[in-house]
Amino acid sequence: MDSIPIIHIVEPSAEQSKHRAASIFVRKDHRQNIDDVKERLKDIRSNVRDNYASLVKELQESLGRFGGITVTHAIDAKEAAAYIKKVAGDINLASINKSNIVINELRPELQASGLKTYIRYYTEFKNFEEGKFQKKVEDYWSLPGMHGRNLIESFGIRKTMYKIPSPETRNFVAVLGVNAIAADDGSVFFLQHMSNISRDLDQAKKIILVASLEKITKTREEALLHTRSMGIFGLESILLDLIPHDVEKYDFDTLPIVDGQNREIHVVILDNGRSRLMEDGYKDLFLCIDCRACARQCPVGQHLLLERGMVYSPKNYLLGFLQGWLPSVEYCLHCGRCHVECPVEIDIPMLLWRSQLEHYEHHKRSWKKRMLDDPEILAKLGTLAAPLSTWMTRLPPVKVLMQVFTGVHRNSNLPAFTRKTFRHWLKGGRRD
Amino acid sequence: MTKKIVYYTGCFADYYGPDIGKSFVEVMEKNGFEVIVPDTKCCGMPQMANSNLKGARKNFEFNTRVLAKAASPGYDILSTCPSCNMMLRREGLPFFDSEEARFVASRVYDACEYLLRLHGEGKFNMDFGSMPIRVFYHNPCHLRVQNLTAAVDLMKLIPDLDVVKVNLNCCGMGGSYGMKKQNYDRSKEIAQKIWDEVKAAHVDVVATDCGGCGLQVQAGTGAKIMHPLMVLNQAYKAFKAREAA
Repeated sequence: MDSIPIIHIVEPSAEQSKHRAASIFVRKDHRQNIDDVKERLKDIRSNVRDNYASLVKELQESLGRFGGITVTHAIDAKEAAAYIKKVAGDINLASINKSNIVINELRPELQASGLKTYIRYYTEFKNFEEGKFQKKVEDYWSLPGMHGRNLIESFGIRKTMYKIPSPETRNFVAVLGVNAIAADDGSVFFLQHMSNISRDLDQAKKIILVASLEKITKTREEALLHTRSMGIFGLESILLDLIPHDVEKYDFDTLPIVDGQNREIHVVILDNGRSRLMEDGYKDLFLCIDCRACARQCPVGQHLLLERGMVYSPKNYLLGFLQGWLPSVEYCLHCGRCHVECPVEIDIPMLLWRSQLEHYEHHKRSWKKRMLDDPEILAKLGTLAAPLSTWMTRLPPVKVLMQVFTGVHRNSNLPAFTRKTFRHWLKGGRRD
Repeated sequence: MTKKIVYYTGCFADYYGPDIGKSFVEVMEKNGFEVIVPDTKCCGMPQMANSNLKGARKNFEFNTRVLAKAASPGYDILSTCPSCNMMLRREGLPFFDSEEARFVASRVYDACEYLLRLHGEGKFNMDFGSMPIRVFYHNPCHLRVQNLTAAVDLMKLIPDLDVVKVNLNCCGMGGSYGMKKQNYDRSKEIAQKIWDEVKAAHVDVVATDCGGCGLQVQAGTGAKIMHPLMVLNQAYKAFKAREAA
């Protein structure tokens, strides 16, 4: 096989970190401060955001130097899926990784094209021996406690591939969203929590690596930090994901071994509306490293995750709406916690609002929405008729009517109106 | 009195919880401030949440104009509602930027944040009477994201008052979000954790700075809800009563 870009697989290990943290040989100044990591990340991602067109070009040129891969640029998910289906040929079985691009954007199109897609990650969890599974989970839960020590060292390169071996080849395609890709030399990085990525790279007859704008960095060193940071800041989201998922599992290891002499690697650079969003005031979205730290404290996240089976994060939720595969962003209750959690400080709540407001510039707001958008008028009316208004809003038939006409749930705990408002009290000589 | 402060009431303290506004005025007076209450409108956040950009702009621009004028001699602006505070301080700016809006944003403080700052400067009136009550404090998201938990530190200054639990989770209310039929069940599921914690804590009072959070906690627990300023005001009154006795 001709040359391929170097593929690095990064994996966490709390055990190794604990040893290092405890070691007297690890000097304090050798441990990286988490705030320094954030600053460096912001620099890296800002550079990509501000020079994305030239970096995409540079990446394409770098990848073009490898004779062992085929590179294509897809405008949208449909085009990417059509390409993957063509590459797959008579193979109709695909292993996909838990990448937001692959699951949220590509999977529906891949399935529509006739490919059967399975997330191998969950099969591996299912197949874990009980003792080992427990250890793995314990290992993960101890990682967040490493913040402020040498957590970054917990995410090391565990495997580097200069070629793809052939003895384990099986008849399926692997569609793998990369975690980072360096524009200057095309090197590819994956963050692996189970062995799903390595096994796909070892076994799939055809490998399709998918990259999008937010995965590109300028250099290999930046790509490594980007990948490690996904683990560091996204740890708790990964842990939150370890809930029973109602997903179909498939054991690729049981497939028969086939001739692996003609294994293929393809790289798809997927745009899917990203260039447009860069121009439309959403360019800060591409500061994102997809760590999903924003999901950590999101109060509605678990509900969305379970309902839609998507790789959830507030940022993915917004991106899904902007790309058109989610109908609205009105699940968000605008608590603002995602903004605080984001290591590169993307103002996701503001962007969510902007997207919603822009949507309603071209769409009519429902009358229920109109009824609720000025609570002050409702309060003034209620005050005028208080305490009758309070009494009325407690009556079951009135509550039902309110639900029908305003969309306020009939069991809501509504505040009581008072005839003597604060301003009445103030203007009336402060007499109670 | 020489020191003056501008109070942005917001809808809740004016129409639904006038005791919050009254307590604010009395607490600030106890600390030597004269309170100026200009005529303002709803902060605009409910309009934003219901996708009414025009309505939000109208209110926000009116408020920032009025507040900038009232604060122009160099006064600070205080609010008792976390969401109004967020709107004036940072949420409105990306959409309705103006010189007045930036001036107002630089002057706005949460009332408890401001009082705690006074305490740090040794200027906070500590004439509190005893309040032997157990308090559960719920930190609203819009203070949480500004890293503000000043109410807890202030309430802990009250003799015999025990803040037994501080909750930092979202209550699921989000203004009118949790009242809407399509969000109601989800909102209650989110609130369940707090309801369970409140019930388990066996407290006399749940203190929270947000009117909406208060309604949500009350709905699931029946607990007595007080704004932290109401707690502080009661402690001042307890001191006065003790002195009179």
